[in-house]
Amino acid sequence: MTHALAVDRALVVIAFKRRLAYKSGWIFGLALGGGSMLISLTMWQNLLGDGSLNGYDWASMRAYTIIGFIAATMVFGAADYQIADRILDGHIAVDMTKPVDFQRARAAEYIGSMISTAPTAALGVLGAWLLFDPPGPVTPTAGLLTALSFVLLFPLAFGITYLSVLVCFWTKRYLGIMWLREALLSFFSGLMIPLAFMPGWLQAAAWALPFPHFTTTPSAIYLGRVDTAGALGLIAAEAAWVVGLWYAGRLVFRFAVRKVTVHGG
Amino acid sequence: MPIRHASGVYWRALAAHVRSVIEYPADLWIMATAGAVWNVLQFAFLAVLFANVPHIEGWGFHEMLMLSGLLSIAGGANALCFDGAWNTGSMVIKGDIDYRITRPAPVILQVGSSHIGLQSFGELALGFAMLVYGWIGAGVGMAWIPVGALAIVCAALIQTALVTAFCAVNFWIKSPMSIFAFLLIQLQGGAMKLPLGVFPAAVRVVALFIVPVAFINVVPVAVFTGHMTAWWLVGVPLAAVAAVALAAGVYRLGLRAYDSAGH
Repeated sequence: MTHALAVDRALVVIAFKRRLAYKSGWIFGLALGGGSMLISLTMWQNLLGDGSLNGYDWASMRAYTIIGFIAATMVFGAADYQIADRILDGHIAVDMTKPVDFQRARAAEYIGSMISTAPTAALGVLGAWLLFDPPGPVTPTAGLLTALSFVLLFPLAFGITYLSVLVCFWTKRYLGIMWLREALLSFFSGLMIPLAFMPGWLQAAAWALPFPHFTTTPSAIYLGRVDTAGALGLIAAEAAWVVGLWYAGRLVFRFAVRKVTVHGG
Repeated sequence: MPIRHASGVYWRALAAHVRSVIEYPADLWIMATAGAVWNVLQFAFLAVLFANVPHIEGWGFHEMLMLSGLLSIAGGANALCFDGAWNTGSMVIKGDIDYRITRPAPVILQVGSSHIGLQSFGELALGFAMLVYGWIGAGVGMAWIPVGALAIVCAALIQTALVTAFCAVNFWIKSPMSIFAFLLIQLQGGAMKLPLGVFPAAVRVVALFIVPVAFINVVPVAVFTGHMTAWWLVGVPLAAVAAVALAAGVYRLGLRAYDSAGH
């Protein structure tokens, strides 16, 4: 293993262990995500009954909502605050002196913190499965491709988060940036309402953004709303966003880092 | 302690905070935009939903818009006037409550006025817009306006008091994050934008009589739009009084349990 990979692995493990140390976070995440999932399911059960809307019946909506819960747990439970704090409290000045790429190190930490949401996601899914018995993937291939689209969520979530966190170079606080990002992600991912319910122009706007890959892509593959070729196309688009956001992050950072000022001297 | 003095301290502290936040215009605009965008997307959610379904449990688009609008106003008022309550947990851990105890003003007011949620500007503006649009669209008469004004005041009081009471849990459960208050507003934000009728009886009982979040927006809007009888309106000011008493009581008990940070 090269030195850089060893550093990545160490940062992933440290971030993972740091998050696991706060076990109340698991229960909190479960209560929050599980509560939201139950509210959403209650609404859709009431609306759908025995019928269907835009191709979603009660069975497929159960699976859709659970997939949304997994994505939300992964992305909203990650340690974005730690990246923001490094910029806001000036730690970044120390980071710049280390022989480690700043973006790559933060990516490793962020992904480590995302992995730590696994117990919350697993417990939530288990509970939802026992309570609501959603349908399985339409085919084994669809199941595998759904898993692959979830794997790509790790770098994709980091790409979006990192770009938004870089705004902290110009602000004193991170909260508003986080809310703005989460609001856009919740709506345009299809977490609030499936994209299929939206008018054509709004669907086009959503698909021009990276957000639909957080719920719409995995659920479309899982439920068979796209065939294998379509699924591969969606995954390719997701991967393209990962690469694009990575380099966009590099570009913005190069410009933003000039704003760093260190107290004292 | 005279109410006038306490009120003076509260408003001066809040004004001082306003002066400090406008020194950072980027934060001000980002936070206000975040509050507005959340509400715009809430409007978009309802518009998209009702383009596909005629009603939810007998509630139409404009009625649901009133629910969201009133809830946003309550949340915005809380963030504008008493956002500092969220600092209770970190103040307890750091021992910062010590300073507040020694000052000649109620601790709860000092803590509540120690911060302003800048998202409140966006929340209040869009919340009022949704409420008024929904009000007109739902055909609620002008005669209800005085009652609507009272409902808004009570909604702000109940929201603020419940959030403050839940933040005060951090006097006993030491954490910089007000997890219980956060859980409250997140679940309330999801559930109380829907008619009570979609939920099982147990949820309705909790929302009406245990943690009376339903009196913030669901009950008043249900009465205005004829889904509940006018008698339910009596519960709105009662819930406000009960919630304020609860917040004051829990905070007082918390201060008794407070043992500073230790050294």
